[in-house]
Amino acid sequence: MAHPHAPTYRRSWIYEWITTVDHKKIGIMYMVTAFVCFLIGGILALVIRTELAAPGLQFVTAEQYNSVFGLHAINMIFLFVMPMFTGLGNYIVPIQVGAADMAFPRVNALSFWVFLGGAIIIEMSFLFGGSPTGWTLYAPLSTRQPETGVDLMVLGLIMTGISSILGSINFLVTIFRLRAPGMTLLRMPMFCWAQLVTAVLLLFSVPVVTAGLVMIFIDRNYGGGFFEPSLGGNPILWQHVFWFFGHPEVYILILPAFGIISEILPVFSRKPLFGYRAFVFATASIGALGFTVWAHHMFTTGAVYLPFFSFFTFLIAVPTGIKFFNWLATMWRGKLTFDTPMLYACGFIALFLIGGLDGAFLAVVPFDFMVQDTYWVVSHIHYVLVAGAMFSIFAALFYWFPKMTGRRLNERSGKVQFWLLFIGTNLTFFPQHMLGLDGMIRRVADYSANAGWSELNLLSTIGAFFIAASVLPFMWNVFATLRGPVNAGDDPWDGYTLEWATTSPPPVYNFDHLPPIHSERPVFDLKHGGGGHAPIAAAPALPAGTAE
Amino acid sequence: MIGVAVLAALLLAACATRTDDRPTSDSAVPGLLPGQVVTEQGRAAADLYLPIFVIAVAVFVLVEGLLLVIALRFRRRKGDDVLPSQTHGNNLLEVVWTAIPALIVTILFIVSTSVLMDVEATSDEPAVTVDVTGFQWQWTFDYPAEQLSFTGAGSEGPEMVVPINESILIRLHALDVIHSFYVPQFFRKLDLVPGRVNQFEVTIEEEGTFGGQCAEFCGLAHDAMYFTVRAVDRATYDQWVADEQEKARQTPPPLPSGGPAGSVLQVTSISTAAGYEPTELTGLADTPLTIQLDNPDPEAPHNVAIRGANPDGSDWIGLPIAGPGQKAVYTTPPMPAGAYTFYCSVHANMTGTLTLQ
Repeated sequence: MAHPHAPTYRRSWIYEWITTVDHKKIGIMYMVTAFVCFLIGGILALVIRTELAAPGLQFVTAEQYNSVFGLHAINMIFLFVMPMFTGLGNYIVPIQVGAADMAFPRVNALSFWVFLGGAIIIEMSFLFGGSPTGWTLYAPLSTRQPETGVDLMVLGLIMTGISSILGSINFLVTIFRLRAPGMTLLRMPMFCWAQLVTAVLLLFSVPVVTAGLVMIFIDRNYGGGFFEPSLGGNPILWQHVFWFFGHPEVYILILPAFGIISEILPVFSRKPLFGYRAFVFATASIGALGFTVWAHHMFTTGAVYLPFFSFFTFLIAVPTGIKFFNWLATMWRGKLTFDTPMLYACGFIALFLIGGLDGAFLAVVPFDFMVQDTYWVVSHIHYVLVAGAMFSIFAALFYWFPKMTGRRLNERSGKVQFWLLFIGTNLTFFPQHMLGLDGMIRRVADYSANAGWSELNLLSTIGAFFIAASVLPFMWNVFATLRGPVNAGDDPWDGYTLEWATTSPPPVYNFDHLPPIHSERPVFDLKHGGGGHAPIAAAPALPAGTAE
Repeated sequence: MIGVAVLAALLLAACATRTDDRPTSDSAVPGLLPGQVVTEQGRAAADLYLPIFVIAVAVFVLVEGLLLVIALRFRRRKGDDVLPSQTHGNNLLEVVWTAIPALIVTILFIVSTSVLMDVEATSDEPAVTVDVTGFQWQWTFDYPAEQLSFTGAGSEGPEMVVPINESILIRLHALDVIHSFYVPQFFRKLDLVPGRVNQFEVTIEEEGTFGGQCAEFCGLAHDAMYFTVRAVDRATYDQWVADEQEKARQTPPPLPSGGPAGSVLQVTSISTAAGYEPTELTGLADTPLTIQLDNPDPEAPHNVAIRGANPDGSDWIGLPIAGPGQKAVYTTPPMPAGAYTFYCSVHANMTGTLTLQ
């Protein structure tokens, strides 16, 4: 490696990774950590589904179960989806805007290491009695549970919160200050727009919950009386604090997914994104509306003004609907190829739709009174987070893996994985709608054998094992591909955005020289002409590669 | 494969555990439409489901259908290397598919909010008022006008008897953490929040017994916090009230009345942290014991429960729970000789040993 200013001595690779401030290495460390936590969260999910496969307590005790479901949620939300998107963003955003690194590389490294510390402390909570409070840590249950595990959970979450705040500032400054010449805001790839709005959401919501967690810690250990009613505190206040973060959090978990899908669909349809400006507008309005709906998680507390939050919850369905139609219009009359990233993107549209529709029911307050805290809600969040966030993460990993490693993941293995996951997701989560509608509540280790719920629960458990099985080919795929030759080339998908204009993997400084930027598809323009939205001169311009 | 073996074992377990006394109202496999709803307010809410379901199915069919058509029709064929037409958008189309969903959700909001007003409506004078108090992991149903009180825990819980076709006011109180009063057949739940009183009214339109349980995660035994509601006609209800009042008069709280030596035990619950005083009790085997609990703890309710003391091997739980500064007297089932653990079912860390000879 002959970089212009490379040091003349070599250090061990461990030292290189621990001390790195390179956004690409930090991104990969985020992704690897997130994947490990995904495996832990997945095993916890299997524990939950195995226990619920039949009525009665067969597999774990009620104490264990009550810690497991909260830790599963914390793992999947805070330690898998969030850092995975942070990692992807870390790797891709600076390259997509044509920058050499994040704005504050050392702060970037600090974010990761603080996150890693928080993640370890959260996982440790299970060894200290667990945190039997659910991921919502509702007071006064969370202020009264004696387990040390709750304190560790709170401390760990405070650390991941600090990491998120630092990271979001870094993303904002990178996007606002380090864009390449010609890369105006309205020429930014949709993934960068999604990360931009996500960073704004993080910056406004995470400090709120982090402060709230500090208050919980004080309530627990020093008798603070913020949320503890016997000391004059108000338990409803914690729910406001939590959900003022918690609902924007839902969009923090899904906007990057929207961004990823909006990157992949155009490339594999050979068309530009349909209605780019409408997409930007929809993303920003989802971000803004995301702050007006938090109390729809509190409809049954008897303590919120119901019509206000019901109205905005309905309203937020509109920009999401726009996205669906724009995605379909992007594919319309395209020339589609179904490589694994595209397969996942289509699976995302097919299944996230269900999570959108069953969510609209929940905006109907009298119906929410029935299904709040039942398996209907469990089904809804999992259609949003598994079929939404997780599908998009696999789409992104298959799409950008060649850029990060220079190697393409195996297509056949990717397709097997996709269909296992697709079937498993529906088997696991669709029956839960019916269970919730019949009154099966969530967060229970056991349910009545007379309620008629045994069959659907067993079906759901079988589905969970399908999902678990789908992860195995992926791990083998990554392992085998990394041992294989570097053969992907710099631009395996005939991509549109700047990351495909550099080598795979990119050098430390990302670009030797940047192509001119006249539209949101600079690399497409470079290859096919037609800078900006001007008509394309020469038509025959598809590579002879991967058509089916 | 291990997974298959585990599933097979679970399938066997599912077939084996068929008897269960937990209150549920029907045992049919649920479908995609709401089950039985028995209250006037609940029916108004449940009637909203079908039209929304139809709209959702229509959107589902439209989007999935389009996706399928696109995936089949616009595949790139082998040898096709011509770029498709590069369409960047269509303002008219985008306005249409913004306006139509906006219109639909506005209509849904108006309809659902008007139903919400009906569901939340209260009458000036409810026929029956029941104060529901939830605490870890039990319920107390108090009828303030009739001066009746019922407390129960576990897989059956207490029973609330109310007349049909009359307005019932249910007021909700929580002693420790947040709970939620949920009867699926009412199509309604409402939280019990410490420090505030929530209330709602229902008019039950069908006779029957309906199972309910706590719907807000509240700690260790959240999954076993059940109760039942029995709706009867007015005459039966009046008779039930008279009977229960008579019963309450005839059986005053069991007082310590001599009995054989060793059958009356005295114990004090100091506090959640300090536990009981004394922690060692000795008593007679094969005799119902009278346990007098003194709870001077100003902060928390306590009781006495004995592990494995019921004839079927389950835990015996002393009810009612003694509130802060109160006393309670319990009568245990007869137990064979041996050493037992007694504990507080509200604070499982409070334990002691009971030796029976």
